[in-house]
Amino acid sequence: MMASLSDTDAAALAQGMATAPWTQRFLDGLPAPAGELETVQWRGREALARQTLPSRRDEDWRFTDLVPLLAVFDGTAPTAGSSGGTDSPAAASALPPPAPDTVRLLLDGRNDPLAGQTLPAGLSLLGEGEWPLALGHTLAATGCQAHWPVELNQATASRCLALRVSGAVASTLELVSVAGADVSGAAEAEPGATQIGQRLTPVRVLLLLEEKASLNVLQVQLGNGPCLSSLVCEARLGRGSTLRHGLLAFGAGEACFLGHLAVEQELESRLESVWASRGWALSRFEPRVSQAEGGAHTSLKALQLAEEHQLVDTHSRVVFEGPDGQLEQLHKAIADGHGRSVFNGAVKVPRLAQRTNAAQLSRNLLLSNQARIDTKPELEIVADDVRCAHGATVTRLQQNELFYLQSRGISAAVAAGLLKRGFCQEVLRDLPAAAAGWEPLKRLLAEA
Amino acid sequence: MSTAPTVGDLVSQPYKYGFVTDIETEKIAKGLSEDVVRLISAKKSEPTFLLDFRLRAYRQWLRMTEPDWAALGHAPIDYQELIYYAAPKQQEKKASLDEVDPKLLETFDKLGIPLSEQKRLSNVAVDAVFDSVSIATTYREKLAEHGVIFCSISEAVKDHPELIASYLGTVVPSNDNFFAALNSAVFSDGSFVFIPKGVECPMELSTYFRINSGDTGQFERTLIVAEEGASVSYLEGCTAPMFDTNQLHAAVVELVALDDASIKYSTVQNWYAGDENGKGGIYNFVTKRGQCRGDRSHISWTQVETGSAITWKYPSCVLQGADSVGEFYSVALTNNRQQADTGTKMIHLGPRSRSTIVSKGISAGQSSNSYRGLVQIGPKAVGAKNYSQCDSMLIGDQAAANTYPYIRSQQPDAAIEHEASTCRISADQLFYLQSRGIGFEAAVSMMVSGFCRDVFNQLPMEFAAEADKLLALKLEGSVG
Repeated sequence: MMASLSDTDAAALAQGMATAPWTQRFLDGLPAPAGELETVQWRGREALARQTLPSRRDEDWRFTDLVPLLAVFDGTAPTAGSSGGTDSPAAASALPPPAPDTVRLLLDGRNDPLAGQTLPAGLSLLGEGEWPLALGHTLAATGCQAHWPVELNQATASRCLALRVSGAVASTLELVSVAGADVSGAAEAEPGATQIGQRLTPVRVLLLLEEKASLNVLQVQLGNGPCLSSLVCEARLGRGSTLRHGLLAFGAGEACFLGHLAVEQELESRLESVWASRGWALSRFEPRVSQAEGGAHTSLKALQLAEEHQLVDTHSRVVFEGPDGQLEQLHKAIADGHGRSVFNGAVKVPRLAQRTNAAQLSRNLLLSNQARIDTKPELEIVADDVRCAHGATVTRLQQNELFYLQSRGISAAVAAGLLKRGFCQEVLRDLPAAAAGWEPLKRLLAEA
Repeated sequence: MSTAPTVGDLVSQPYKYGFVTDIETEKIAKGLSEDVVRLISAKKSEPTFLLDFRLRAYRQWLRMTEPDWAALGHAPIDYQELIYYAAPKQQEKKASLDEVDPKLLETFDKLGIPLSEQKRLSNVAVDAVFDSVSIATTYREKLAEHGVIFCSISEAVKDHPELIASYLGTVVPSNDNFFAALNSAVFSDGSFVFIPKGVECPMELSTYFRINSGDTGQFERTLIVAEEGASVSYLEGCTAPMFDTNQLHAAVVELVALDDASIKYSTVQNWYAGDENGKGGIYNFVTKRGQCRGDRSHISWTQVETGSAITWKYPSCVLQGADSVGEFYSVALTNNRQQADTGTKMIHLGPRSRSTIVSKGISAGQSSNSYRGLVQIGPKAVGAKNYSQCDSMLIGDQAAANTYPYIRSQQPDAAIEHEASTCRISADQLFYLQSRGIGFEAAVSMMVSGFCRDVFNQLPMEFAAEADKLLALKLEGSVG
C-alpha cells in the first residue's frame, strides 16, 4: 500500500534526521583512514553515514537501546575513574601471565600485535595479496556484512589479524583486547589519537582453517569505563577442520561491547564456540554460522550475566545450506538487579538441509524483581526429514534444590551460590583451559 | 512407493462446502467511508453510543497501517473494493424459524447444521450467521429459563444495551490493532452470550459462520461474559464458498470471566483455503482475546484451523485475577499454498496465574505454518507458571514450519517452560503400520490424529470426531 510505504519512509527519515548528528559527530571525531585497512575504513564510514542507527523500532533491536553506547562518545558518560572503581576487570598492566602452551597477542586495532612475537607452528600470516580477497567473505556469507556494529568496526579498525591455519596447532592462541581507561595512557602517547579513538577499541580477526587443520583460540575482550570494545571475527573452516573458539567478554562501568562472530563451515568441520559475558553496560553479541554444505558440526555455548542496569543481548543465527548438519546450542543467562537479558536464537533449515539434527536450549535464571528476561528461539524449517528441537525455561533457583542443600546443613546463601555456580559451570567448563587464569572469570566463579 | 496412494494424495480433498447459495441479498455499495459506518449503524438502528464507538474506531483505523511482521505474504488488500454489509433479503423480524427463508435453512442443513426443530442437534444451541446477519438462534427459550442470554449481537444491542455498553471493546479496545479497528468500525453481526452469576450453562452454545457473497468482507464480533461462578462451553464453525477472489474476514472475539467463572471457546475453522495454486480463499485476520478478570477464573481456547488462504490469529488470555488459568490448544493444518501465522499470548498479571499452551502444526504441500506465541510474566505475577509445547509435523519437503516463541519475564518467582519438536510421517513408520495390515490412508490418518490427540481431547465430544475426519480429508493427497 502506498500509504503505509510513505509512512514508513517518513518515520525512517525523521529517525535518520534525529540520529544523523550523532553519526556525523562520531565520523568527524575519527582519525583519517590509514593503514592496511584504509579502503575498508572508507567504505565503512560511507555505510555508517548512509545507515540510520538501529532503533527499537527494528525487530532485531526491539529490546536493545543504544543509548549507553551513544553516551560513551557524547562525553556524557562520567570518566572511568569515578565509576570503574576497584571493580575494574583488568588493568592492562595486570594481565595474568599467559597459561602454558599459550601464545598471547594484544590487539588494539592500531598497533602491530605481532611485534616481538613469533607465531606457533601451523599459523602463518595471510599474504598481502590474500587477505583483502578473503576479508568480508564470511560476513557476506552469513548475511551480516551490512550490520551496523560491523560497519562501525570496519569504519574504525585500521588493523586486521589475518591468519592461515595449517595442520593441528598445538598452542592455544590468546587474543586480548583491552578497551577504556586502562589503556588510555597508551593511546594518548600515540600521536594523532582522538578522543573517539581512545574510547573505541576495534578488533578485526580473520582465520582461514585449511583442510583438517585445528586451532584453539581464546579471545579476551575487556573494557572499563566509558569505552566501546568492538569485535568482528571471521572464520572459514575448511573440510574436516576444527575450531575451538572461546570468548571472555568482561566489562565494567559504562563499557559497551559489540561483537560479531561469523563462521562458514565446510563439510565435516567442527566449530565449538563457548562465550561468557559480564559487566557491560550494553553488550550485543551476534554469532552467525553458515554450514555451507551442511554435514558439519556446530556447538554454541554461552553464559551471559545482566546485573545492575546492564543490558546483555545475544542474537545468534545458524543456517544449514546442505544436508546432515548438526547443531547443539545451549544459551544460559542470569538476570539480577535491574539487569535485562535478551536472547534471540534463529535456526534455519531450508529444503536441501535434510537430516539436519539441531537442538537449542535457552535456560534463564531470573533473580530479582526488577530484572527482566526476554528470550525468543526462532526456528524456520522446510526440510521434512529433520530433528529440530528447542526449549526455553525461565525460573529462579529451584526451591527443592535449595531445600535439599539446606537440609544437609549448608546455609541458604552458600546453597544459592552453589546452585548458581553449577548453572554457570555447565558452560564455563568448556572454555579453553587458558581462560582459567583470567581474574574476572575467577571472580565470577568465586562469587557465584 | 509406486502406485500406492501417497500421503500427499491423502491430504488434498475437494472442499465440500464450496457451494454458493443463490439468494437475493441486500448489499450496500462498495467502499468504506464514515458514511458507510453511519449507514451500517443506521441499518441496525443502533443507539448513539455504538455509533460513536464505530466512528471512533474508524478514525483510529485511518491512522493505522496494516501489520507486516507476520511470516505471511499476500497481495495487498484494497479496502475500498470490499462490500461492508450484505444481508439476505427477508422479513425484518423472524418470530419463528418458519419465517426464515427455506433456502437458508437448506444451506445450513447442507453444512451439517440443521436449524429446524425436528432435526436440530440435541443439547447444542446454534446461532447461524449468514454473511452479515444472524439468521436464527435455536433453544433460546430453554436457555432463557436459566437466565442465559444467547442471541446475535444486533439483538443484544437492542435488548440489553447496558450489557453491551459496559463490556464491548473492554477486552479488545478499538485501537488494539489494524484489523480490530476495522472490525470495530464496521462489524455486522456475531453472537452475544451472557451467563449470569452462578449459572452453569445447560448446553453447548455454538455459532456457525457462513460467508456467501464473493465480494463481501465478514466482520463479526462475539462477546461472551461469564459472571461470578458461571461456566459455558462455546463452539464456532466457519465455511465459505469457493471463489477465485479472496474474501476478507476480520473478526473480533472478546471473553470476560469474572471470579470463579469458566469459559471454554472452541473453533473449528474451515474457510475455503483457495485451490492448489493458491487462487482464492479467505484472508482470515482475527483478534481473539479473553480476560480472566476474576480470581480463579478460567479461559480455555481450543482451535482446529484447517482453512483460509491466510490465517493471522492469536487467541490470547490476559490473566488478571489471582489463580486464574489460561489454556490454548491448537491444531493448525496448512496445505497447498496456505499460510498460517498463528499462536497465542498469555499475559500473566495476577499472582499464581497459570497457563498451558499446546500447539500442533501440520504443514503439507508448499504451505507455510508458523507458531508465534508470547508468554509474558508481569512483575506482580508471583508464582505464575507457564508450560508451552509446540510440535510441528512436516509432510513433504516443500512445506515450511516456523516457530517464534517470545518469552518475557519480570518475575523471578515464576516458572516458564517451553519445548518444541519437529517430526514427519516417515516411510518406515508407514511401512510398519502397513505391514500390520493397516491401509495406507488409515495409517496416515492414525498418525496425524495421534499427533493431534492432546488437542482433540479438549474439544467437545461431538466435534472431536468431526475434527479428526476433517483433518484426514484436508490432508488427502499430500504425503508421499
